[in-house]
Amino acid sequence: MDAVLYPVNDFGPVMKGLAIGGLGIFHVFTAHFAIGGGMLLCYFQWLAMTGRSKSARAFLDGYFRYLVLISFVTGALTGVAMWFTSIQVSPVTIGLMIDEFHWLWAVEWTFFCLEVVAGYAAFKYGPQLTDRARLALLVLYSFAAWMSLFWINGILSFQLTPGAWLESRSLWDAFFNPTFLPSLFYRTVAALVVAALVAMVLINLAPTFTREEREELVHRAAWLMAPMALMPVLGVWFIAAMPPDSREWIMGGSIAMTIMLNIAIGASALVGGYALFGLIRKQLYINGATATVLCILAFAATAGGEFVREGVRKPYTLRELLYSNAVRPEQVAALREHGLTEIDPYPLRDEDKLPKLNGRPHPHLLTGALVFRQQCSVCHTTAGVNALPGLTRGWDAEMERQNFAKLQQLKPFMPPFAGTPAELESLVQFVEWWEKGRPDTWPDAAADPTEYADRLARIRRWLDEAGPHPALVRAARSDAKGGR
Amino acid sequence: MDAPFPFGLPLPTAFYLTVYVVTLVLHVVFMNYVLAGTAALAAAYLRPGNRGTGESTAILKEWMPFMLSGAITAGVAPLLFLQILYKREYYTANLLLFNRWMAILPVLIFGFYALYLLKSRWLTRRTGCIAAAVAVVPILSVAFTGYSWTENHLLSVRSPAFWGEFYGTRAQVYHDPQLLPRLLVWAVGSVPTLVLVLAWQHWYRGTGRPASLARVAGTGLVLVTAATAWYYLATDDTTRQAFVSPLAAPYFAAACLGLLVQSVGWGWVSLSPALDGRKLLVPSLGLVLTVGGMTVCREAVRIAALGPERFESLFPGHAEAFGKGGLFVFLGFFAVNAALIVLVFWLVRHHSVTKPGPSHNPHGTPET
Repeated sequence: MDAVLYPVNDFGPVMKGLAIGGLGIFHVFTAHFAIGGGMLLCYFQWLAMTGRSKSARAFLDGYFRYLVLISFVTGALTGVAMWFTSIQVSPVTIGLMIDEFHWLWAVEWTFFCLEVVAGYAAFKYGPQLTDRARLALLVLYSFAAWMSLFWINGILSFQLTPGAWLESRSLWDAFFNPTFLPSLFYRTVAALVVAALVAMVLINLAPTFTREEREELVHRAAWLMAPMALMPVLGVWFIAAMPPDSREWIMGGSIAMTIMLNIAIGASALVGGYALFGLIRKQLYINGATATVLCILAFAATAGGEFVREGVRKPYTLRELLYSNAVRPEQVAALREHGLTEIDPYPLRDEDKLPKLNGRPHPHLLTGALVFRQQCSVCHTTAGVNALPGLTRGWDAEMERQNFAKLQQLKPFMPPFAGTPAELESLVQFVEWWEKGRPDTWPDAAADPTEYADRLARIRRWLDEAGPHPALVRAARSDAKGGR
Repeated sequence: MDAPFPFGLPLPTAFYLTVYVVTLVLHVVFMNYVLAGTAALAAAYLRPGNRGTGESTAILKEWMPFMLSGAITAGVAPLLFLQILYKREYYTANLLLFNRWMAILPVLIFGFYALYLLKSRWLTRRTGCIAAAVAVVPILSVAFTGYSWTENHLLSVRSPAFWGEFYGTRAQVYHDPQLLPRLLVWAVGSVPTLVLVLAWQHWYRGTGRPASLARVAGTGLVLVTAATAWYYLATDDTTRQAFVSPLAAPYFAAACLGLLVQSVGWGWVSLSPALDGRKLLVPSLGLVLTVGGMTVCREAVRIAALGPERFESLFPGHAEAFGKGGLFVFLGFFAVNAALIVLVFWLVRHHSVTKPGPSHNPHGTPET
């Protein structure tokens, strides 16, 4: 079996997905602020230089300072942090993405460079420049920021909808994939909304503006939220472009994802409703507290949306290319024959905490722990969030054997088990040991060789019945057969 | 590997190594400015009675956030190509160092905000002790980041068997006899880069004292020579041989020649009462030779540490990545965005509504 195995870190009670998801949500929010903020600055500069707003110029510098302090520092570094965290969570996934898209990431880098230079130049020298020159710098900054979204959006949306790339292996099929456009437009609108809401907070915080000036600035900023009217259409477009099984998860198939989607929709509806009817149609004023609440709602919408975007890829990290646990679909059949625990070069760190059998660490629990580390730990913990022993509580050992062997049939968002029957049995022993409170002694699962051989034969039969393919491919094949 | 870098290597490997080295050199220039510059800022604030009011300190304070931003942005490209070239090695080192490695990110955020705090009016109203404490934060965070990178790099070239043992120990700190001397070469090597960039900034503003700048640069050059000698003595035979191998020997010679050119150039610069752009070109040429040469030597040391068999096993991965599209799109956008960056400088230079200050007379033309 030809495989590169990486060391796996234990995140304790925190699910790895939560670590990268939490950071991702924060980064996306700050990145949206940077992108929308650039557009807002262009708009306010235009208002100032054409004489349409007297207060716009005064507001520009203060807003820009916050943009620089947040997006140039925290935004930039959380971007790097996303990269590093991706390596910590799934080095195989990020490695494959780098191989496929490195030149497009390099293109994005050229826009980062333009964004930093134009942004700092506009911030530092803007007040000394002619209006046209300052607007030109702001347009360059804003364009570069949006183009960085353009490039990363294609790469991220590929993870869910690789589309024609699966057949053609063409970079452009991968990049301009089915969810590229709805995702790009949706994120652009979201960026404008975040920028406008932050502007409303800052307008209220600025001590130098009169009430009239604040009202005028708030209503100007509110116009950036007008494209929110398109969000339902863009959302439906995105959902329609998703793979059918992914769509099922958010339509009730996975309760967690359905709830998160509803949080995103509800929060967006509240923000959009206030913006479109309150601020734009009724010309209401918004104070700092309300603007802050709307900002928090926008953050919740971002969180819900990003959670759904990450979650609907299950059981893959790269659809039809790589499962969440870094096993490739085409490797499953071979792994069921040879397993991976034998060639794992990294020892078990908590070996000394396992019960002993014949004076050595219990061999089944040791193997089970290695299987858990390789195949389960990316999404599950042993005693924290989404803990596997918690999820299987109430199942007896035989149920666990059958359910693990037919995992993709039990829960279609789970990948098929990718190990030998002996490894699966060891995983069952390991989960049982955790369920029973990790006692100091644990019986030998193979004490009766005949019964043990029968058990492995049953597991082999269940594995064969489920097959090495994910449930969604099996469903598609059944449909095709039915059609014929 | 019997020919000078990058010849004698398969085309994909040679290509990715070249773009890696070129982009790394760009990152190193920013990084050196930040490393030595934050140290200079801390020294300025720690000196009794000094609140960072000198000319050079003012420039450093003004430019350091941008330069740190530049260092981070410029670091993205070599980081990208590093993952193509040495994926397994780099990822494994990241994973082994885990939290310790990830700590560079919050630490850098602290350092970044401390740089903004140094520029703030708030700090001018605080006591000297508070100002000094704030001034020390950036150098500590940058030094920690540099230490972590060196540690990560050295761990990445260890054998897979060692990685397994290291993982089993649960350690998140790796020590290697080469670590400190290697780090010292980087640290003191950053001084001549800082002084040169600072000299150009002074030249642009029409300020700066050539003799004093040359003295600091000269000290940096002496220190980097001494640190390199220590590194040479402290390291193993494989590393020593790498410097004089056919792959790196011409570049090592170029780096040494660069040190000489810098020394002569700074001596020439110091003779003038004011900074002269033409004279500054000489140490600039020397610096390019030294930084470029040493960056290639660094790569040769890595390749030697991996050994020919392990290095050659990476070639198929490079060839596979080379077959993916997008290179010409990158080159196109690189050219367009480079031109737009030039446009930014042009706009700032030629579309100012305020008259340049009396010191802003870089080319010696009469003030109007």
